[in-house]
Amino acid sequence: MNRLPAPLGSRIDRSRPIRFSFEGKSFEGYEGDSIASALAASGQWVLSRSFKYHRPRGILSMTGADANALVQLPSEPNTAAERTPISEGLRVCAQNVNGSLERDRDAVMDRFGRFLPVGFYYRTFMGPRRDSWLKFWEPMIRRKAGLGVVDTKAPHRHFDKTNLHCDLLVVGAGPAGLSAAIAAAEAGADVILCDENPEIGGSLSYGRYDPAVLFGLTSRLEALPNLRLLTGTVCNGWYEDNWLPLIEGDRLHRTRAREVILATGAIEQPAVFRNNDLPGIMLSGAAQRLIRHYGVRPGQSAVVLAANDDGYRTALDLLDAGVSVVELVDPRSAGEAGPLEAELRGRSVAIRKDATIEVAEGRAGNRHLARVRIGGSWIACDLLTVSIGQTPAWQLPCQAGGKVGYDAGTQMMTITLPQGPVHLAGAVAGTDELQDAIASGPRAAATALSRLGHAATVEPPVTPKAARPRYVQKIVADPKGRDFVDFDEDLQVKDLQNATKDGYREIELVKRFTTVGMGPSQGRHSALATARIVAEATGRTVGEIGITTARPPVGPETLGVLAGHQEVLERRTALHARHIALNAAMKPVGAWWRPYYYGDANSAQEAIREEILAVRQGVGLLDVSTLGKLEIRGPDAGEFLDRLYTMAHANQPVGRVRYCLMLNEMGSVIDDGVAYRIAEDQFYVTATTGAVARVYADMLFWNAEWRLKVDVLNLTGAFSGLNVTGPKARMVLQALDSDIDFSRDAFPYLSGRDGMVAGVPVRVMRIGFTGELSYELHCPSSLAPSLWDAVMAAGRPHGLRPYGLEASRILRLEKGHILIGQDTDAITTPDELGFGWAVSKKKPFFVGKRSIEMRARLGQTRKLVGLKFPAGSRNIPGESCLVLRGGAPVGQITSIGYSPSLEAHIALAYVHVDDQAEGSRVTVKCRDGELLEAPVVAHAFFDPTNARQEM
Amino acid sequence: MTAGAATHIYPFVPGGAADGTKLISGAVVLSDLTGKPCFGLKGGGSAAWLAAQGVPLPAVNRIGDHRGMRVLRLGNEDILFLAENAGETLAQIKAAWLTAVAPKGYSSWREEGWAWMRLSGPRLVEAMSGLCALDLRPQKFGVDDIAQTRVGHIEAVAFRSPTGFDILFDITASAYFARAVAAVAGHQHRGHP
Repeated sequence: MNRLPAPLGSRIDRSRPIRFSFEGKSFEGYEGDSIASALAASGQWVLSRSFKYHRPRGILSMTGADANALVQLPSEPNTAAERTPISEGLRVCAQNVNGSLERDRDAVMDRFGRFLPVGFYYRTFMGPRRDSWLKFWEPMIRRKAGLGVVDTKAPHRHFDKTNLHCDLLVVGAGPAGLSAAIAAAEAGADVILCDENPEIGGSLSYGRYDPAVLFGLTSRLEALPNLRLLTGTVCNGWYEDNWLPLIEGDRLHRTRAREVILATGAIEQPAVFRNNDLPGIMLSGAAQRLIRHYGVRPGQSAVVLAANDDGYRTALDLLDAGVSVVELVDPRSAGEAGPLEAELRGRSVAIRKDATIEVAEGRAGNRHLARVRIGGSWIACDLLTVSIGQTPAWQLPCQAGGKVGYDAGTQMMTITLPQGPVHLAGAVAGTDELQDAIASGPRAAATALSRLGHAATVEPPVTPKAARPRYVQKIVADPKGRDFVDFDEDLQVKDLQNATKDGYREIELVKRFTTVGMGPSQGRHSALATARIVAEATGRTVGEIGITTARPPVGPETLGVLAGHQEVLERRTALHARHIALNAAMKPVGAWWRPYYYGDANSAQEAIREEILAVRQGVGLLDVSTLGKLEIRGPDAGEFLDRLYTMAHANQPVGRVRYCLMLNEMGSVIDDGVAYRIAEDQFYVTATTGAVARVYADMLFWNAEWRLKVDVLNLTGAFSGLNVTGPKARMVLQALDSDIDFSRDAFPYLSGRDGMVAGVPVRVMRIGFTGELSYELHCPSSLAPSLWDAVMAAGRPHGLRPYGLEASRILRLEKGHILIGQDTDAITTPDELGFGWAVSKKKPFFVGKRSIEMRARLGQTRKLVGLKFPAGSRNIPGESCLVLRGGAPVGQITSIGYSPSLEAHIALAYVHVDDQAEGSRVTVKCRDGELLEAPVVAHAFFDPTNARQEM
Repeated sequence: MTAGAATHIYPFVPGGAADGTKLISGAVVLSDLTGKPCFGLKGGGSAAWLAAQGVPLPAVNRIGDHRGMRVLRLGNEDILFLAENAGETLAQIKAAWLTAVAPKGYSSWREEGWAWMRLSGPRLVEAMSGLCALDLRPQKFGVDDIAQTRVGHIEAVAFRSPTGFDILFDITASAYFARAVAAVAGHQHRGHP
């Protein structure tokens, strides 16, 4: 066991051991351990195999930013072992192995590296046929190179989204972010501080710093109720107007901040030498995190590569953790010895200046570091910590408009943000030392506060006192290779040099050709080295090369987080409970729940048939409350409808109901309904269930455009509709207590009346979809159940039956009534429907008029007609089956169903315009390919003279 | 149109469309006020008629008070009275309006078209942040502010009430809304035990 005693191990709870497995082998860790730390504590350092050469890989950064430590969980691939906590019974597997992690059959790839140069795939797998790559090579290579496996049977998880608003969002709770957030909150601002780690402090939580610093900041933070702290929360992008997604586990906080301070810190960079990827070679921050966060000793015998103070501090940490530090190698030339160096020498650590790691070697199969060569001599060790420099975490600043530059004087990557609501603090802004970072926080906060209108003194930025030139490793390709620049993609120095020799001189082209920076780390550990290699190879400066564009998301995110949780929208009519009580089969139609039929599922067909026959022979009752209902009021109401619909409404008499047909500006039919003129300045207009939202929006648009004296009100939910229809409908209504005369003469077809029925105020229209005598009763929704009950009671002696959508669909088909959206498509004109009668020729204007005139001049190609299939036809086409003419498609079936009244299958279909005449025979292709001939009949299969509906 | 003797049935009462849908209570409380006295006027002449009756009208998207009623100005000519505890006063206004001659606007039927629900409870703020994208912090959204926005993914009018937020929305979506609020409250419960 590599476990160190408390107080080391701030994240773990030693009283709560947890068992889990890795590669089928059982392991134990503690609550709070990450997968990687628990495995490291048990001596399991190899976590994965590399992408291309299948080399053993292990902990590099302990930040979860690279492919080295991605593992497979039962239901989640590509999980960062360095960040994901263990849980009881968790089963963890390695990814990208052929066989097992220990015995990977594809490890042989490591020997064939020279046959797999960059661009190998592009060059090799393009033949022999044009589609060979897509059909053959790519699937094969993907199988070999795939990372995790998606579990399509993964159990459902709960995700949700919330919305946050704040004056200031601070991203990163390291020393700079903490002090920025505290300063702003102490000044009274409403602040959110987020950090991806489970605790605050950033480097203060694992670096070799005085604990009093973090303690002091924590106690100030805790005293601030207006500072909301979100730990374990990743800020995964910056979007326009300071909109930032904060991901806290399975929750997405959609955050809108007036000001943003990015204190995202810096990313330690690996050193480049042969075999720099061996398990046991890690960044110094990784070793410090293992020690302080998890109480794990990172090795027994260490060599420390240090080109800055952090490396020296790491060496001291290692000593404190009981690791034998064999040697500290500082590639910088000898200078004045600082206090850290003196302390190390005092503890008998050999320090070698002006030297570096030339090459490393592994144990059998490269499973762990065995020794390193320095100055020509080999030193045995099982740990090498690397601290040779860092880059600012540029991803979020770049998304917020920041430009990456390079300061040749200090050899640093720099980020410049435009003047605006986003500010930088700490290491991302180039500070190196703790005190500079802590000082930069309040400075950034002051700028943000003054923009927020607080009285704040904005101090000019000062040059950090520690700004001295950074060490830059001279990158020379090792003759034997395996000097990795990009660990995710197994790219070596020569791969990048060769790319420039092939003419790929620009960084974006180098990226696409070599795939550098395309892996999970997105260039975090390779961008700077790549820029330096390309700069060197093309004789330019690092600043001229730059880095590739950083786009959101900053890190991987699950689709569940993006989707969140959404309850399915559901609308119910006021009669919902009445339908349920009558054993209706309720089904969703769009958002609405509607009765399909009343009765049991096993007798559905019989129920539908009986419902149809009830309407044809007696009387039926349909809930039509889902219809759109719009009230148009004002002196210009008639003119308004004249401009919106194709028929004439300005001259429509009060008390009359008129069909209305709506076109869009390209002359396509988009809606129909009826308009009942209640008064000179008041129309009650219905729209189809699916289109009313759009029709209402269009009405508001045109009303604003035309500036008529009109007001539009959407009463779709406020009013309910009951359709009483069938030869006995009048008898039912006359049996009800009412002040409306329902007789034929007093209340003729296509007229409307206001009044009371059974104590309920109603608007009644003599219209219907069934072709039978029909009254539509509309009333305030809260009274609809009462009205329903009254109609049901009055209808009982007449055999009244409520009927559902399925019967309604057949009834209207028998009558040849179209359904907008089912029998029409995006280009249907009134002429194609045979609706010339519904289009006013006299009106100077209505929406779509010019278009239908222009389209008429182009000539009509199709026509909607009725088709009747002979009784007893064995094969019946379905909706959307093609209508053929000379073997070529000319139209399709739009509606089809069995008519019990006609005892035959009937359909509406688009046919060639020359086949529209009644009696023409057209060919329809069934689902199984059989061709059927059917005669064209008139639209109205049933009662073509309309005698029944007008009786 | 005036109602006769027939019974009004609103979604959450027995026989209503959302009958059987549970209204969440506990850390987040959803209560139903649909059916409480409420009356809206809309269209040209509404504001002038009300002003002539001595009803002080607030600015658009603000709430005023008139003899214990809340007066919501949803638009220049779109005014809504909520009279949770002032049914008498509202009845007087309504009676005066019914007998008045035009121009006086017309009824917007809000009492029929809109559900009126109240969200409250100790986790109110979290619940609202899950339901609504708007900045509802007290310093940004005051007691007399009206938000015509989306709550729980549907169009809604939201404003503060003494115990929480009142929300008006399409009455046909009542069952859905109760479910959406319960889901949001449930998620928050899961996230912060």
